[in-house]
Amino acid sequence: MTMTTIEGGTPSGEPPTVAPRARNRILPSPVSGQEFVLLGVIALMWIVLAFTTPAFMTAGSIQPLLVATAPIALIGIGMTIIIITGGIDVSVGGAIMVCAVTTAKTLVDQSLSLPVAVLLALFVGAVLGTINGLLIAYGRVHAIIITFGTANLFQFLGLQIFGSSTVNGIPQTFAFFGRGVSGRSFGIPHAFLITIVIGAFVWWYLRHTPGGRHFYAIGGDPHAARLAGVRVQRRILLAYLITGLLVGLASCFVIAQGTSTLDQTVGSGKELAVIAAVVIGGTSIMGGRGSVLGTLLGALLVQTVTSGVTQLGWSSQLSDLFVGIFIIVAVGADLLRQRARRSA
Amino acid sequence: MSTAPVTGSGPGVRPPAEPGQESVASRVVRALLTQRIVLLAVLIVIVVALFFIMDANDYLTAPYDSDYMAASLINAVPLAMLGLAELLVILSGRGGIDLSVGAIVSLAGMVFGFAYGQWGWPLWLAILLTAAFGGLCGALNGFLIAYIGFPALIATLATFYAFKSLAIVINSQRPISTKPIQELFSISRSVELPLIGQQLPNVPLGIFTFLVPTVIVVWILLARTSYGRRLYATGTNDIAAKWAGLPVRDTRFKAYVYAGVISGFVAVVTVGQFASARPEAGVSGSGMALPAITIAVLGGVAITGGIGRVAGVVLATLLIVWLNAGILLAFVGNAGSQYQLFALGTVLIFAALLNGITNRRYGGSR
Amino acid sequence: MTDHESPILPPPAEGGTLTGHDVPDSGLARLHLRGISKRFGAVRAIRNADMTVKTGQVHALVGENGAGKSTMIKIISGVEAADTGTIEFEGAPVTIASTTDAMALGIATVYQEPQLFAELTVSENIFTGRELRRGGRVDWAAQNARVVELLVLLGLPAKYATVPVGTLSIAEQQQVSIAKALAGNAKILILDEPSAILTDAEIEILFTVVRRLTASGVSVIYISHRLDELFRIAQEVTVMRDGQTIGTYPIEELSVRQIAELMVGGILSDERPERGIPAGDPSLVLKALGRTGKFHDVNVEVRRGEIVGLYGLVGSGVSEIAACIYGIDRATSGQILLDGKEIAPRNPGEAQKWGIALLPANRKLEGMFSFQSIAFNISAGHLRLLSRFGVFVDRGRERTVAQDLIKRLAVKTPNERQAIGAMSGGNAQKVVLARQLVERPEVLVLAEPTQGVDVGAKEEIHRIITQLAENGTAVLVVTSDLAEALRISDRLLVVRGGTTTVEFGPEATQVDVLAAAAGAVDEEGHAA
Repeated sequence: MTMTTIEGGTPSGEPPTVAPRARNRILPSPVSGQEFVLLGVIALMWIVLAFTTPAFMTAGSIQPLLVATAPIALIGIGMTIIIITGGIDVSVGGAIMVCAVTTAKTLVDQSLSLPVAVLLALFVGAVLGTINGLLIAYGRVHAIIITFGTANLFQFLGLQIFGSSTVNGIPQTFAFFGRGVSGRSFGIPHAFLITIVIGAFVWWYLRHTPGGRHFYAIGGDPHAARLAGVRVQRRILLAYLITGLLVGLASCFVIAQGTSTLDQTVGSGKELAVIAAVVIGGTSIMGGRGSVLGTLLGALLVQTVTSGVTQLGWSSQLSDLFVGIFIIVAVGADLLRQRARRSA
Repeated sequence: MSTAPVTGSGPGVRPPAEPGQESVASRVVRALLTQRIVLLAVLIVIVVALFFIMDANDYLTAPYDSDYMAASLINAVPLAMLGLAELLVILSGRGGIDLSVGAIVSLAGMVFGFAYGQWGWPLWLAILLTAAFGGLCGALNGFLIAYIGFPALIATLATFYAFKSLAIVINSQRPISTKPIQELFSISRSVELPLIGQQLPNVPLGIFTFLVPTVIVVWILLARTSYGRRLYATGTNDIAAKWAGLPVRDTRFKAYVYAGVISGFVAVVTVGQFASARPEAGVSGSGMALPAITIAVLGGVAITGGIGRVAGVVLATLLIVWLNAGILLAFVGNAGSQYQLFALGTVLIFAALLNGITNRRYGGSR
Repeated sequence: MTDHESPILPPPAEGGTLTGHDVPDSGLARLHLRGISKRFGAVRAIRNADMTVKTGQVHALVGENGAGKSTMIKIISGVEAADTGTIEFEGAPVTIASTTDAMALGIATVYQEPQLFAELTVSENIFTGRELRRGGRVDWAAQNARVVELLVLLGLPAKYATVPVGTLSIAEQQQVSIAKALAGNAKILILDEPSAILTDAEIEILFTVVRRLTASGVSVIYISHRLDELFRIAQEVTVMRDGQTIGTYPIEELSVRQIAELMVGGILSDERPERGIPAGDPSLVLKALGRTGKFHDVNVEVRRGEIVGLYGLVGSGVSEIAACIYGIDRATSGQILLDGKEIAPRNPGEAQKWGIALLPANRKLEGMFSFQSIAFNISAGHLRLLSRFGVFVDRGRERTVAQDLIKRLAVKTPNERQAIGAMSGGNAQKVVLARQLVERPEVLVLAEPTQGVDVGAKEEIHRIITQLAENGTAVLVVTSDLAEALRISDRLLVVRGGTTTVEFGPEATQVDVLAAAAGAVDEEGHAA
């Protein structure tokens, strides 16, 4: 996806000329073809929804949409890094549960200030991410198997902390991330803003720092990366650690978005929603290719579909069908493009 | 640039040491590590013995005896069948996996509910339709993966969403539990085995009507038919399979179709167990796909393809089912089902790390 | 083997004491290897080898397959450590224990298979692991400026700096690998058969690049099977044979034919088993066969009972020809005739139905099902024949067939249930060969039948091939092993530049054929 249509198809054997633009153009275009298409599709959907359902283009509809996008997009940022390295993490659903219930319970038991509560969630997330990272980087077992295993362990842990009931009477510590008025500045939800800021930073990090580029190298060819002096295992561990931290923050969003009650289904099925957003965003499951911008757009697309389906008065469950179709179309288009590139 | 490894064995493959040069102890260790069947059998014995001892010392809330073990086998039916479905697709190689089996179970279950519960089709015809429908769902997966070239994880993630959504929308989120469906519950009841049944505990009927036939058919398919050979060949090294003149795409495609057909049968079992065709039957919680994949990996199926046997999957199922049954008795209330998650996760990670060690030390398990 | 050498050859120069060359910095040894030996188990890969590479020169390293060239390269680049011997770098003794050591000295290697990241840009590939930094980030401007310099030096468009490597041609990717090597300020650049995958035009560009590099003081070790091109690029040549360095010569003192003689040694071809040349109508005919970009105008006729050799160097197009006969690739021009009827196999399955069998060149990748049994490996591809009702594998017959072939091919194994992955190269190759013989093929194509196979097994495989021919199979042996090609072929065709060129009869010598394949035809008018 990082290949641009502008520069990609240069025929070989051109006379060697020093292109004056070469110095300014440091990487392929910052926005890839698929991301433009995604932007277009989202814009189209918003326009269609604006005309078909009068309520869609109102703050009361857009704000919840952005709030709901935030946790998936935020975890998606970490998942993008993981998938770029050629890995995957199907344990984030369980990890959300552990972070959310730990934080919520602590909040109920003793009054924490917002920063302390966030730090607690981050810490729990970091621990879980490190467990995944250590097992995958040093256990030399495929990530999907390890995270299937830790998914079960995290769920167990979460349910244990829950005890046999829901967590009730959670104080409004996280209102800053929530749906209410205190969760917005200039009409934009804080959760969404924070996600955008972190997304922008990680986008920059992946694009412009040696460490960021090494994630791509590892996903492209781990053996060659090691030969080139990349510390492969440490990088992989870092990818899961980052995801763990983001899961921690995302669980704060999740708590804030809910009522004062947290039930045992929290986080359930989120791993697949996150992977769907990343894949729709154009990150290759084979590793070595992908971008955070795409993931953010992918998450926004998925949430727009969900929101749109309900606003059109259709069964909310129908949105999953569209998500499935979007995955097929997005990845299928990419496959066909690569096939064309190879035969060209 | 990177090419996927074509064989499952790691870079440090060593030929096995000459037998006779090693001590009994190291031979036992090697058997345990390289023969997954042996390891699983030993683990089953340890687990069952452990619970018998706990039972004898009154640590359990109810007796853990052969009757209880036999009755708990009802849980093995969907688990083992879907484990076999995963065996087929994982064997086919190139990252083969099927995340959509649970969603197929849901959707095919609804189809069965319509055919048997509402349209009043005869049972055999309804079952046939359900299996065929499951096969159709699998064919969509297989087409995307084998012919278009989708990574299996992506294709089945997408169809998971699509099938799951259709299952819920198709009857407006309502389950189907008409009279014929409710009466189907009889397949979950336990029966006495003919002839030798008096000495043995009663066994759930579903074992004989669905599980045992599936096990036998899949075993014959893999161990005795030319298709099985093609599947192992394709999963072991699909380039060599092409050079040997084997139809690689067709073989891989069929693996997903067969997995779909098995999911269709599981749908019937599940409808019977719940006495209702429930739209979220196969996808609630973590769904049916994750435990099935876990069972397959635990049973010694290599995620890289080409390695795995029916016996491994069956033994892994027995291990998990009897372990889970014991855990239920060892804890009061909800805690039991939670510790089952713990056990499943721990056993899976343990097995996976063990596979890694085995690959490095002995050049792979069989 | 004897060390007989032709008297017309100049005496080999003693390590590094060559004089009388007006190349820059002549006489200054940059790298000096003396008395290098290396064993792999029982195999002595290199024995007492010497080599001196001078500053600013192109030093060619030639030898037959298995002569020890690649082991020499591995020792210089730190992939393997020598057992004995000394290495001097710019006059000082050094130890090269790892690739890092080699890199630190400025020794960079460009392998045939570029180790690049397809999704990353050229600039990133060149600097992965040693990025130029400013603050915490990559200094793209500095990095790209350096890359543009390198690209201009290599004759690539400067805008390639920001193009993903995966969008470049193989030749361009190789040049990127060279750029990557140079970015580390290489003093010695090792090029391992760089021309094998390049077209003539691309080779021209490569040579220009190499000349520019040597002019700036870089030493190049150049490995190639195409002897003719050495005369256009190298100043000195070291010849290896049978693990030893035969000598180092100024290139202008030799001809292609003389280098070929040095490589082969004075050894006479192994005695060819005496057999009558079969007559009759050809069974397999390739008529002006071509595939765009791979080969063209290939004309071959193989009669029933005849063994025809197709000899060509790596990259000559010879392996692609085999793939077309077997339906892996499709020809874009010309015809394949089988017993006078035109066929166009679309896949190996179809080719098999016409009675064509093929032993693939890359045993591990294309031939073996590693962790499956011998019986499994033999019966794969014949499942229809070995099944009852086409569905159930007839395990009894499978066992009989496997046991029979194990006996016929003298596969060393306790039984047919052993996994093929644990077997030696020779035995594994026999098993893969056995698969081709289950249904007696009309036409048998063997690609590199004895690559990576020990001498004993090689002998046996040759015997088996001869037997097959005597039983009436038309055999086409595609090989880059000259001794083998000569030894078993009734007729031998040389493939060069993607097309069949000269044909030799059984009386041909190694030197004739090697010279023809390496391009001495023009030089000496006629090869045979």
